[in-house]
Amino acid sequence: MFLSTRLKNAPPPGGRSCRSSGETAVANISVQHLVKDFSRADHGALQVIGDLTFDVRDGEFISILGPSGCGKSTFLSILAGLEQPSGGQILINEKPFRQNGNQTRLGFVFQQPRLLNWRSVRRNVILPLERSGLSLEELQTLSSRYLELVRLNGFEEYFPLQLSGGMQARVAIARALAVEPDVLLMDEPFTSLEEINARKMRAELIRIWQQTKKTIVFVTHDISEAVYLSNRLLVVTERPTRVFETLDIDVGYPRNYDDDRLFELSKKVSRIFVKMEERNGN
Amino acid sequence: MHTTLKIYSVAVLLAAWVGLSLVFSEQIIPGPIPVFEAILENLQSGEGLFHLYKTVSRVVLGLIIAMLLGSGLGLIMGLSIKGEKFFESWVMVGLTIPAVVYAIICLLWFGLNDFAAVIAIGITAFPAVAINMWQGVKDIDMQLVAMGKAFQLPTRDLIRKIVLPQTVPYVLAATRYALGISWKIATTVELIGMSSGVGYMLHYWFGLFSMTQVFAWTLTFIFVLLFIEYVLINPFEKRATAWRPVVQV
Repeated sequence: MFLSTRLKNAPPPGGRSCRSSGETAVANISVQHLVKDFSRADHGALQVIGDLTFDVRDGEFISILGPSGCGKSTFLSILAGLEQPSGGQILINEKPFRQNGNQTRLGFVFQQPRLLNWRSVRRNVILPLERSGLSLEELQTLSSRYLELVRLNGFEEYFPLQLSGGMQARVAIARALAVEPDVLLMDEPFTSLEEINARKMRAELIRIWQQTKKTIVFVTHDISEAVYLSNRLLVVTERPTRVFETLDIDVGYPRNYDDDRLFELSKKVSRIFVKMEERNGN
Repeated sequence: MHTTLKIYSVAVLLAAWVGLSLVFSEQIIPGPIPVFEAILENLQSGEGLFHLYKTVSRVVLGLIIAMLLGSGLGLIMGLSIKGEKFFESWVMVGLTIPAVVYAIICLLWFGLNDFAAVIAIGITAFPAVAINMWQGVKDIDMQLVAMGKAFQLPTRDLIRKIVLPQTVPYVLAATRYALGISWKIATTVELIGMSSGVGYMLHYWFGLFSMTQVFAWTLTFIFVLLFIEYVLINPFEKRATAWRPVVQV
């Protein structure tokens, strides 16, 4: 609809000066026996992630679904290089990801928008790009393109606190996309929105994903959200986080919330959750 | 609307002053006209400007010392829990000691000179700066810093673009607070032990029982402080906090 027509008119992405021509944007992620312990002063170590192993294929939309307060966010932090794993490793294109290593570009959308309130919407979007060697004009075009993609054209010079929560969430998505990441990491980005807005945002995310062909790792505790969005769904356990079950979702896009197949899948996932709970309880 | 309100408030103050000056004698409350005449006279004579300059320069130097010391200590206390526990009581003690004590001690230690005055101002004002900076550092949103790291911003960008802007309101508050304290302690030091500056002039006219001149010098200094507030600090604050939506109740 709206977005696809916009995108056809937009200049093709990938004209970025900082990526060398031989490099491909393929991103295969391999999580191998990942373990994360938090040491606590009084209770000994707390294992948040325990032996997490799975692969993400290039261009895939994978959801990690688990109860609130399990190690999902911690996993994304490790993937983004913000925290060190206690064991195991994460490989991106067979290489471990390093902060400022410049091999793989990551875009991160957090649970809260995490915008800099003293910067305009546009300057928030270009924040991660200010050291990329792009000219001011290129930054303008790039930020305009992605703000248009999240339907915020006309709001470039607003400050975040002048926008609604949903609009702030979209600025955060534009910021992550403007990096033109190989992998987009999303940590429950829509939980702060009410359902109507969240549905709109999910539909837009799917459209953006189909247009840009990014690999997306999406963390959520919302079953129907995970089923609606993803190609593949990992149900993970509460602390320590492990893969409990993997589900492929072979329903074409764009999807409909009323689709019976999605509804059946949601019920199935709910049953998996119940099974998981029972096992935990015993 | 707000400007008219401000004009009204000044007008009411002036009217009250005129009214009171009509009731009381010139030795108790001199009227605005003789006071403003005295101010002009003081400023036209080079000597008046000299005393004003002396006080302002002492205040500015003392303020710089207070900001440097206070920011350093506030940073240590905000960044390290050990530092916080260690220095907390020092800062509290520093705050409770009356300013005049610092003035007397510095004058006895360093003699009746500018150095003593500047040190006294710096030491008196710096605990207040330290407290503001300490709070400012503690209130830095680490989630924003994590955001910057996730987008692979280099450390100097994290500090310049994410950390420092968050401390601006606290730096402004600290500057204001320190400025208020500095000029009070400056006049005290000058009154006790200096032979120049506004405090000295106040002392001199106190000796001659000239209420008109006491009022004149006080007002002169109020004008200087208002100038600093509205011409230097306020415009900067407006620019730095333009992103904040206006609160209306």
